[in-house]
Parts: sequence; structure tokens; C-alpha cells
Amino acid sequence: MKRSSLAALALTAAALAAPAASAGDLSYRQAADMLYLVMSSDRAVYARMVVQRLTRDEQVIATSEHFEDDSALPLPAQMFRFGADLVADRSEDFSYALLSLYPINSKNGPATEVEREGLEYVAANPGENFYGEEEFGGQHYFTAIYPDRAVAEACVSCHNGHKDSPRSDAKVGDVMGGVVIRIPMD
Amino acid sequence: MSRKRVFWFLCLAGTPLAVALVAVLMFVGGDRRVLMVGAIGDAHHQIGMACESCHAAPIFASRATAIEAMNETCRNCHEDELRAAADSHDGKLFRGPRMAVYREKLDVRLCTSCHVEHRPELTRAGAVTVALDFCIACHSEGDQDVRQARPSHAGLDFASCASAGCHNFHDNRALYQDFLIAHAGRPWLAPDPVHKLSARYRSRQIAGVVLAPGDAVAPAAALADAAALDHWAASGHAAAGVNCAGCHAPDAAPDAALAEIEALWVTAPESGVCAGCHRPQMESFARGRHGMRWHPQLAAPRDPNRRLEAIGLGGVVPQSVAAWLADSPLPAHMTAAEARLPMHADGGLLDCGTCHLPHAVDTGRAVVEACLTCHDDSHSRAYTGSVHHALWLAEQAGEAPPGSGVSCATCHMAKSERDGEIVTDHNQNDTLRPNEKAIRPVCLDCHGLGFALDALADGDLIARNFQGRPTVRVESISWALRHAAQAGR
Repeated sequence: MKRSSLAALALTAAALAAPAASAGDLSYRQAADMLYLVMSSDRAVYARMVVQRLTRDEQVIATSEHFEDDSALPLPAQMFRFGADLVADRSEDFSYALLSLYPINSKNGPATEVEREGLEYVAANPGENFYGEEEFGGQHYFTAIYPDRAVAEACVSCHNGHKDSPRSDAKVGDVMGGVVIRIPMD
Repeated sequence: MSRKRVFWFLCLAGTPLAVALVAVLMFVGGDRRVLMVGAIGDAHHQIGMACESCHAAPIFASRATAIEAMNETCRNCHEDELRAAADSHDGKLFRGPRMAVYREKLDVRLCTSCHVEHRPELTRAGAVTVALDFCIACHSEGDQDVRQARPSHAGLDFASCASAGCHNFHDNRALYQDFLIAHAGRPWLAPDPVHKLSARYRSRQIAGVVLAPGDAVAPAAALADAAALDHWAASGHAAAGVNCAGCHAPDAAPDAALAEIEALWVTAPESGVCAGCHRPQMESFARGRHGMRWHPQLAAPRDPNRRLEAIGLGGVVPQSVAAWLADSPLPAHMTAAEARLPMHADGGLLDCGTCHLPHAVDTGRAVVEACLTCHDDSHSRAYTGSVHHALWLAEQAGEAPPGSGVSCATCHMAKSERDGEIVTDHNQNDTLRPNEKAIRPVCLDCHGLGFALDALADGDLIARNFQGRPTVRVESISWALRHAAQAGR
């Protein structure tokens, strides 16, 4: 990734997530951390202000994996992935994904050694993130992996009860997977 | 001159001439069929000579640019239907570095990875040119090995994934697991088999001022056509208050006097006038094989003058020569004679008036009789006398409720509801590519999912127009139920 692109990316993230900083001095790690801050904040807002309020507090609508057929809200994980798909369609300056060692859909399992190592690391080391580098097709990437926890009973009940889930013993607070952010490097 | 000298003279003189001719055809204008490297498939053959509709990259562009430009043109015409299909392999799902490993096997971001034109020897239904077992590329190794994840799939041939009625590459709206489970156990025929949107459409009341023959405002010569007048008075147009000028003088003011109408009168209006009121129908018509030549994204014929200017010959070539070099425009209409399906020899061209008689506007005729005027394949021939046809006749005779009859259009021109209006899809191919696309908007109103899956996978039954019961068994519902039961959830 060109330095100017990183600066632009960092400026975008900084504008959204942090006080103004000297973008040119940002490291890949700082840029990834800021992107994650935006993503996790948006995710928390959707979960709390939309899903929890409308499904549990006011009980006016349900969530569903098949939200279009069921006229329901998308699940928080789906909402997150839709954003990731749109970013992938719009930009090559960074990409992100929500992955798990126990994915309901196998395409959301680790596809690289770094993804597997990082997902295992954040699960085994509460409160810590994982940072690494990878190469795809001759391009080097900075890869950051952040733990993704089950924050509500709805998360674990859905994952434990889903017929395609390889795990049925998750508890609230468990690390269910990780957010993987990649930034192309110079 | 000896024969040897003649030979060399012809070679030396002919080669530059041939090169010049090819260059002119490629870069200026003229009929390029002689340069075509392979026949165009059934889907696109009728627009084949509008080369730039697909080959949109600039001359001498790189291969990567040319491929990307070509795929952009695919999306110009097909993106809406892919979006509606909730495309299971949407290209944007395969962007990003972590998908590189899959892209190396099969780059599904590019339509041309699986759909290549000019290769008739490879082309199967759906314009598919990739090997039948293409799923093996990504679903046969590691965590993605479907044979490991699903014991029911162990030993299955990858060539059967998308050909046995279980999976489609793009559209799985009627095939996904939870949908199969939700519709398991339904009887093959509903107790009250009625297509709901058809029922509402056929029993709707048209709002507006109903016009009678005496209300017609038209030149005297037109009013003298008593048959046309009677047909119009009995049509939906008259029932909706659409007077003669609505079609014959569309540029006249709504309250125009007869003199203005006469001045603007068009004896035989083009189909474009229909779009003024029936835009969704016209747009979908242009997405199907009947009306593809009207698609707004088709490339216009090349302008030889602009081409000559681009290569520095503007003004050098005489105008008469430039005019001679011009591309022939595509014919205005598709015709039955150009179709690659069996057609009656006397089938004509296709525009709105082909199916909807200009004055009668009898949708009853448009949805059966008009189809059989041209189509002469086994499925079409078997419709007459079929159970679906008998139901249609009963409804038309008032002996059965609205929506119980099944016309050609019931299945091939699905209805949908938009903003409270019921709209008929005039892309008659939409529920055929592949045919499981008909399950949700059409079949399930009357039939159980299991029966529909079996029937649509039975080619012989389709050829008999569904006379009899399916002899093919699609296992997907029972396998989905078994998988859920084994998971115990």
C-alpha cells in the first residue's frame, strides 16, 4: 500500500474515531486499531440501539438469518459482514472480515495460517490483539486480529442452537472469533 | 506472364489489400461477421453484430482491461437480476486478499470465468462454458470440503452439484437449507390451488372513466374502422379512460381538440409509445430474448466518420465511401425466424402488438394464444390438453376461481407487487435461467416444494408439459431434514 493511501486511510479512520493526529506518522498497527475502533463501535451501536431495543425491549421485530424472507432484522454478524463486503467492493486500501474457529458457515473459518494463529491467540489471551504479516500474490499485508466476544445471551443461544454450528457450549463472555483487518504494505 | 509471376503478383498485391480490409472492418465500420472467431450462443446471437455491447474496451487495451470492460458490460444487463437473486457467489464476496486462494482456482468475480461467448462447442444451458464439475475448484479441500462437512454428500460426483436440482451457482432462494426444511412435508398440490397474484390481477377493478365507442376521438377515417372501435371499447384502455390519442397522438395535449389530434395522428404507433404508461413492462421486455434488441445498453452502430477521425483520416475519405463503410444497425425486432428454438414457420416479429393486439389488448390472448402462434417445441405443443391448460380454460369460462388457471405466462412471466401495483415480468426468460427460479414466484402457490423440485428436474416431464408425475427424485429436502435431526437442534 502506498504511503499516501495509508495516510488517506488513517485520516478517514482518525476523522471518525480519534482526535486529529499526524496521519503520516501512523503505523499500520495504529491505522488498524483505529479502523477496529470504528467497526466495533458501529457494531455495538447496532446491537444495542437497534437489535436489543427492537427485539427484546420493545419486541416489535425479530432478528433472523433469513431476514428478507422473514421480514426481520439482519443479525449483528450479518450487518458487520455486509459492511465488509461493501468495503471490499469499493476499495483495495484495506479489508476486514469476521472469522471464527467455530464458524456456522465454513467460509468464515480461517483460510490462512496467520488467521488460524491469530484466532487461537486472541481466544487464549483475553484482552490481547494479534498482529502479523502475510503475502498474497506477491503483495505484503499487515494483518491485525481482534477478539470478538459473545456479549449477550442471544449470541450464544443462536450459535449453540444452530444446526450448522460446530460448537454448542459457548457462554456469554467467550471469545467466539475475531475481526481480521488487512492493510496492504509498501 | 508466367503462372509463377501471377502467383507472386497476387500474393504481393492481395496481402496488403486483405490486411487493409480487415483493418477497415475492425477499426472503421462494416459487417464483421467474417472476422467472428466462433458462433455466438443462443442468449446473445440476436445482438451479435453490436460487438461493442460486450467488447467495450478501447482498441489495443491490455488483456486485463479488456476482460474487466467485458465483465462490466455483462453487469450492465444482468446486474439487476443477480441482485434480485441474492447471488450466492456475488463477486464482491470474493474480493480482498483472503479470497485470493479461491480466485486462483476460479475467479468468480469475472462472469467470463464461467460464461465465454464464441465457444459453441463448450456452451451448455445458461450460457455456461466452465466444466460441469466446477464446484470442485473450491469445495473439495480442507474446511471447504463439502463431502467432509456433509456425510450425505460423500461419494457424490461434483458434476451433479448444480445439475441435479439441488444447488445453483447464483440463485438459491428456493434451495437453501432452512427454506427446504420450512417447506418439507407439504402436499404435492395445495387444497386450494390458486396463484394469488394472478387471482388479484385478474379480478382487479380498473379505476378511471370508462369510455364507450361514442366517446372515441379520432380522425373520421379511423372511426370508420368499426371492428377496431369495438375492440378498443371492450379493452382495458377504454376501461381506464385512455382515448385514441393516448396511443395514436401521444404528443397531443390531454384535452386536445380534434384538429390537434388529427395533426399529430400516427396511424401505426411504434411500441415505444406503450412505454409511456407501461415502463416496468417495457424495461423487463428488453431484458428477455423477445425484446433484447431494445435494451438501452446495447452499443449503437459505429460512426465511420468518428472512427476515421480517430485514426487521422477524418476528411480524407470521401463521404460516399464513409457512408458505405457504416455498420448496419441491428434489426428493430427479434423475429421467430431468427429463433433457435423450434418455431412455426409463419411466426412473425416481436413487439408489443405481437402479443397484445393493438386495439383488443386482450391479455387472455397474450398469455396463451400469442405464445403458441410462434413456439412449436414439444413443451409448447403439449400445453394444449394439459392439466394446466384445462384449468386455464375453466377459469376463462368462469367455471373456476380467478388465479386457478395456468397459462403460459403464469409460469414464464411471473408477477410481483411493487408499491401496491401488480406487475407482470415481460422478461419471459427470467424464471427459466435456471428453472428453479420459478419455484417461489410461481410453483409454490399451488404445489409443494418437494414436488416442484422433482418436476423441474425431470426433463421428460417438462417436455410433456407436466402431464403425469415426476420420475426424478431430488433428495435435498430429506437430506436437509436429516442433517438438522443429526445436529439435534
